[in-house]
Order: sequence, then C-alpha cells, then structure tokens
Amino acid sequence: MDSRAPSIAAIGVLGRHNNPLHISLFPSTTLDPATAQPVPQEHRDKLDYAFKLNSCLDIFEARMPSKSIGHDFGLLHALDERIAMYGWLLNTGVKLVIVVDMEGAPVKAGSAAATGLGLRGGDLTPAFQALQTAYIRLLRNPFYVPDEHDPKLAVDRKGSLQIMSPRFTKEVERIGKAWYPGIPAI
Amino acid sequence: MSRQPHQQQGTPANIDLADTNDPLNPKVAASALDFLLIELVPLAQRITEQLLAREQVLLDEYRRSRIFGRRGSKTARKDKVQGEEGGAAEDGGGKAEEGKEEGEGREGEGEKRKEGGGKAETGSVMTSIGFPVMGEGVREGVLARLDGMGYRVGQGLAERFTLNTPRPTNPLEAIKFICKDLWLLVFRKQIDNLKTNHRGIFVLTDTRFQPISRMSIDRRAGPKAAEEAMARAVTYLYFPCGVIRGALMGLGVEATVEASASELPIATFQIKTKGAKP
Repeated sequence: MDSRAPSIAAIGVLGRHNNPLHISLFPSTTLDPATAQPVPQEHRDKLDYAFKLNSCLDIFEARMPSKSIGHDFGLLHALDERIAMYGWLLNTGVKLVIVVDMEGAPVKAGSAAATGLGLRGGDLTPAFQALQTAYIRLLRNPFYVPDEHDPKLAVDRKGSLQIMSPRFTKEVERIGKAWYPGIPAI
Repeated sequence: MSRQPHQQQGTPANIDLADTNDPLNPKVAASALDFLLIELVPLAQRITEQLLAREQVLLDEYRRSRIFGRRGSKTARKDKVQGEEGGAAEDGGGKAEEGKEEGEGREGEGEKRKEGGGKAETGSVMTSIGFPVMGEGVREGVLARLDGMGYRVGQGLAERFTLNTPRPTNPLEAIKFICKDLWLLVFRKQIDNLKTNHRGIFVLTDTRFQPISRMSIDRRAGPKAAEEAMARAVTYLYFPCGVIRGALMGLGVEATVEASASELPIATFQIKTKGAKP
C-alpha cells in the first residue's frame, strides 16, 4: 500500500567487557490517516532486542583481528529482509550497534526514497558520529566514572551497570528518531 | 588545541561561544591549565588533611562514648563543639590553627593520637621556603587522591583524542599515543625519550617536565634542601602518573606507573604492563 522506508529500530551501546551500557528501542511508525503525523505502530520487544544485540557481539569478536584500520564495522548481520545490524567499534573498546528496520517508517513526502535498494554504506555514518559525540560528551562529565560501569572493575557495585545520565539517554533517543537514509548530519 | 584551522577573532565579543561547548573542538587556556596542574597538589593535601581531621574527631568521639559512658558525655559534647569549630576553619591558612585547637580538645584525655600526632606536626613544621610538610599518613592519602584524579582524566582524554586515529593494536602503539599526542595536549611538548625492554616495561623520560621546570631550591639551606625539593617535586608527578594509567586503561592496556625525579627538571615514568617480565 504505502511504501516504507528504513528507520532505526534500536540503538545499543555495549561496553568493553560486552556488558550493555545502554539500549534504546524505537517503535516503527505509520502515518496516522487523520492527522498525517507519524504514530507508533509496532512495539519492539525489549528481551528480543537484547538477544539480537548479544548476537552482534560474536561478529565483533570474529572480525576484530582482520579489521585493523578504522572502526566502522559496517553491516554486521542481516537478520531477515527487514532487520539489519550495523556496528562501530570505538578505540576504547566500546561498541555502538544500530539495528535498522527496513520497513520501519512511512516514506516521507519529499525525501528521495530509494526503496528496494537498501542502505548504502555511508548512510549510517552521521548517526554513528552523532552517537560517538554523545558518548564523548558523557565522558566529559566528571560524575560519570567509567569504572563504575565495568563488570570487572566495579566489584562492589550492586544493581544495574547501565548508563543513567538523562542527557545521554535523551540524545540517543533524538538520534534514533531523527535519522533517515541520506540525512547529511544529525 | 583545535583540530581544524580556527579563525581568530579580534575582540572577545566575537568569540563564538558555541565552540567552547563543542566536544569535538575543545579549547583550554594553556597557562590556566599549567597553574591548575601545579595547584592540584596543595589542593589534594588540604582535602586529605581536612578529611583526616574530621575522621579523627569522629573516632575520638566514639571512643570517649564507649569508655566513659554517661560521665564522658558532658566533656564529649564540649570537645565536639571545639572540634567542629576546628573543622569549619576551612581556608588553607587555617591548617595550623586546626592542629592547635584539636590538640587542646584532646589533651585532657591523654589518649594516643595516631593521625592526630601527624597533624600536630603539620601545624608547626615548615620547609625552608614556608610550605607545610606533609605527615606520613597524609602523604599517602594525597598521592592516592592525585593518582585517582589523574586516572579519571586519562580515561576521558583517551576517549576524546583517539577520535579519528586508528585503533592501537599492541601496547607499544598505545604508549606511542601517550608520548606524542597525549603529552602534547597536556604539557605542550612530546616525551623526549622512550625506552623499552620489549617485554612489557617502558621508561618515558621528559627532560624538561613542565610543572617542576620552574621549581627553585633554596641553596642557603644546605645540601638537605635539594632532597627536600626532590621530595616535593615527586608529588607533582603523581597526577601525570594517573593520567598515563587512565589513558592506557582506556586503550585497553592494564599497567602500573611509577614516577621519579632524579634531578630537576628531568622526570622519568616507568610503566609496567600487566604480565611484564623485567
């Protein structure tokens, strides 16, 4: 009926010891016929996406020795014809994973939707760069101590080791909602 | 410290404030950074001494309430008030008065003072130039505090400044990043000498280490002054030690770092990665 465009389904930030630091889920949207505004349609299951992100870790490990230059791991894994996972590895061992739903959003009226061609290699780079900037900004906050979120070093910590900073969380959500293929910079 | 060429504006009114907040293009006043690095050491000393003083007051309070029970409660209240006044005299010049007041508060008890004894010394012993000497217990606390601060800073620096550089695949590359990029950013020069035994031990030598390059030695006080100056200089090396350790940890290399200054202003840092064989 109406053609669909790719959108971000989930963003995951995984720490050096493969511990989840942050997971954000974005429901797929359709156009509400009455108001012509995007409205959440399909809800993403938290556990399901936790497993999907976990499966990406193996791919990082497998490709690590051969990928000496650069941190862009590109397409990690295409689950089925809808879900694909892309990843970046930062120099400190932190992994950024973006799960794209190829039919996650309604096609915007004016955008050049290359439906059927899939995503080009550089399409997700602005999103990853914005994520990296958000993470660096988080590290500039002296109240965020990376060692407290590390399972090996924070031995006496109880409870979740996830990132609690509201600013980082909001920034990740903004990136996930704002992205569309071909966006120049977020 | 900008990465892309930045047009310098003439008047301060034209400075783009958005730039100062941009995480990809941070700007820091170089001399302010130098002063901060030098001032960190007395700051750490003040913090440690005050924390120790407060801890001592609480410990004494507790001991008195255990030993004397009801009879001690009156005197305990009086001393507690005195102790609190001592703790409240916060500015750096108040150190000597603190030592005196709490000494008075505790003299009536005749108890042994551990850190209290060290603290009373700081109030009265000065070096030849007039800077209070640290007692032993205080010194360890100060060094641990400086190292911890440097560690956190090092982690943040490693994340931010390896933004577009290739990932270091072995410890040697991580150390090269420290010698070239990190030292250039923090101290505006590179490390002069790097030695390694190729089995996990690295020795970095900086022939003119910035914070201690302008330290003076009071030659009138005789040969002991040189040793004193050396001991004081070493305290300025602990923050950079922590920075190195934090940056290495950020890049995935676990290591311990030790610093020494055999003569001013040369500083050497010895890095032992985990599992190294001498």
